[in-house]
Amino acid sequence: MNDYIGEARKRRQNLLIVEGNHEKNELFMLLFRCFPEMKISIDDIWIYGTNIYMLYDDIVNEYGEEWEEDDIDLPFIISKKQGFIPLRYKEDFTNIILVFDYERHDAKFSEKKIVQMQRCFMDSTDMGKLYINYPMIESYQNLCSLPDESYAEKKIPVTLRPGKKYKAFVRKDSVVNKFIDFPHKINDLLEKHFKIFNSKKRKKCCDEILEIKTKDNLLEQIQCILDGNIEKDLGDTAKYQLKAMINHVEYANRGQTYWQYMRKIFIQIIFHNIYKAVQIQCNDHFKESGKNKEQFNRINLEEILTEQNIVSKDYEKGFIWVLCTCIFLIPEYNFNLISEG
Amino acid sequence: MLKKFTVINYKNFKEEISVDFSHIAGYQFSSDCIYDGLISKMLIYGRNATGKTNLGKALMDIRSIVFKTPQNDGVLLNADSKKTAAVFIYEFIFDGQKLLYQYERLSNLELQREKLVIDNQIIFDCDFVQKNFNFDNLKFIGAETANIERYKQSLEEGEMEDIIELRLPFLRWLISNVALRKDSILLNLSSYVKRMSVISTSDIIRSQSNKVYDIFFESLERSSRLKDLEDFLNSMGIKCRLALKKLPDGQRELYFSHEKLIPFFETASSGTLALFDLYRRLIPLVQTPSFIYLDEFDAFYHYEMAENVIKFFKRKYPKCQIIMTSHNTNLMTNRLMRPDCLFILSGLGTLTALCDATGRELREGHNLEKMYISGEFELYE
Repeated sequence: MNDYIGEARKRRQNLLIVEGNHEKNELFMLLFRCFPEMKISIDDIWIYGTNIYMLYDDIVNEYGEEWEEDDIDLPFIISKKQGFIPLRYKEDFTNIILVFDYERHDAKFSEKKIVQMQRCFMDSTDMGKLYINYPMIESYQNLCSLPDESYAEKKIPVTLRPGKKYKAFVRKDSVVNKFIDFPHKINDLLEKHFKIFNSKKRKKCCDEILEIKTKDNLLEQIQCILDGNIEKDLGDTAKYQLKAMINHVEYANRGQTYWQYMRKIFIQIIFHNIYKAVQIQCNDHFKESGKNKEQFNRINLEEILTEQNIVSKDYEKGFIWVLCTCIFLIPEYNFNLISEG
Repeated sequence: MLKKFTVINYKNFKEEISVDFSHIAGYQFSSDCIYDGLISKMLIYGRNATGKTNLGKALMDIRSIVFKTPQNDGVLLNADSKKTAAVFIYEFIFDGQKLLYQYERLSNLELQREKLVIDNQIIFDCDFVQKNFNFDNLKFIGAETANIERYKQSLEEGEMEDIIELRLPFLRWLISNVALRKDSILLNLSSYVKRMSVISTSDIIRSQSNKVYDIFFESLERSSRLKDLEDFLNSMGIKCRLALKKLPDGQRELYFSHEKLIPFFETASSGTLALFDLYRRLIPLVQTPSFIYLDEFDAFYHYEMAENVIKFFKRKYPKCQIIMTSHNTNLMTNRLMRPDCLFILSGLGTLTALCDATGRELREGHNLEKMYISGEFELYE
């Protein structure tokens, strides 16, 4: 072997900067799986946990107070901070996505800083794109039916100090929740109740269950998947229970795999948030058909943040419009992904 | 204008490769890269040795058919292919009429087949190997008076005399032997092909005979012409003053004008020479070029000069179909170009517009250069 090149450069990397909470990454794993056109492999994502103000400080440390004038290289800043050798540079990243909660109640909350960040990080293919979720990422589940007419008016008082309370509130009310949790439920069931402890076997069973796309012979299909992976005396109970769970979520009943079904649900969630975003930003309602893309293109995340800052200013009477922006990364990649029939 | 060009089994292009000028994608910016619904300014990128120069040679091949200009150099056919001929297909649009001219060349450059189709009507189809000739529809182009027998005879004579002259293309024979109407589509074709040219950076070495320069220098003797050359160099970013002197032996020589005169060719930088050559090849032309293939046109240019040259082309030659190849990624920008006019030529012989090289919807605000470098279009590189 010759050594003319040395270490080969690896391009097409993805950086996902989120708050240090692992469960928030799962939404992205699910999204990338449901929209394979984005060609983001889950194994190719570098996840970095921080919060927006720590990241802000890191940027200032590297580029100084006037950093807004600079071409910020987040992979460089983060890899330097983490002592990576070699360092990483944004030239090797096709997607840099920052996802943070609004956290109005945070002691470090700074209107100036958050607006500055929102203004600068506006292109995921370049310096990075910042998505702020209001009040937090769980807002994408804050739909009690599909469609949910009430979503347009959903807001939460600042006094709620979103966190566990908001999460619990969303879970109680959410129609989306059961779909999102489904893969975990299957996994837990197979592990804890049906004793498939071998993680490879369990993953294979889960994957195959999620790929079922017809209700015909559902029991036989499940049986086939479980055969050889589950203790014999547990097989019957397992297949009936799994059948009931699949029927509850209804993907196979509609002739779709779980992923195909989830994709359609995500599309609905995205549209709810597009309408909501335009409403917050422009204070009007746009639901005329055929104009969806036009509406989406109107969305300006900085203006939305400014509006949220205004309405939430009063700690007593202020409120925050419920809005999930991070799922906009799908139509931003290509609007056609959500405009299918 | 040229709508589409396809070549198969030519040099490094084993499979079919097409340059489709009509494949545009409704962008609302940099519309000066488009003329009459066809791409008029195209920029091709690609790793070294992917065939950017060969693609230019392939495109220019039609000139050797229509005008018997010097033949292509080197090996014609793909070295890994079992096929015996290279296929060239040119699709033009002239005044709303579609013209398709297709021919096949053997390894010794001989024609194997030649076909002309206008508005889906086969005008002629010559199979030189099988000696099957179809001249049934010459009347559609007002060439029914053509003495076909005389043409066939000339083919026979060529064979009998065993001369090196290649088979005479029927198209060339037709254009030069038949009195065509002034508005004939064939004259449009001939005029287009005549005005096609290729310019590559290797031309900047003063390889041309002094005679070529003499003619050009003579044209510069009118002071306005010399001033124009000076203005051109200045506006592209080279600040200089020029002087032209006639030497005692009657030859003319170009100088940089300082306190003392400095010989131009001996002292000019590579960039200046490249720009000078571009001027010499284009500006004095009486007829506006129809098509120019500029191979690595900015190899010696500062990035701003490269941008200036493209802007100049857009202003001066809006209709001319100009294909530029480059490694200068600074030009990969929506300020100047657009994703359907920026192409990547891959080592596999595929030519893909940026807008087709990613599933991502490319927007005006995207930094295409950064995306290219970070591998957004990697699957098509």
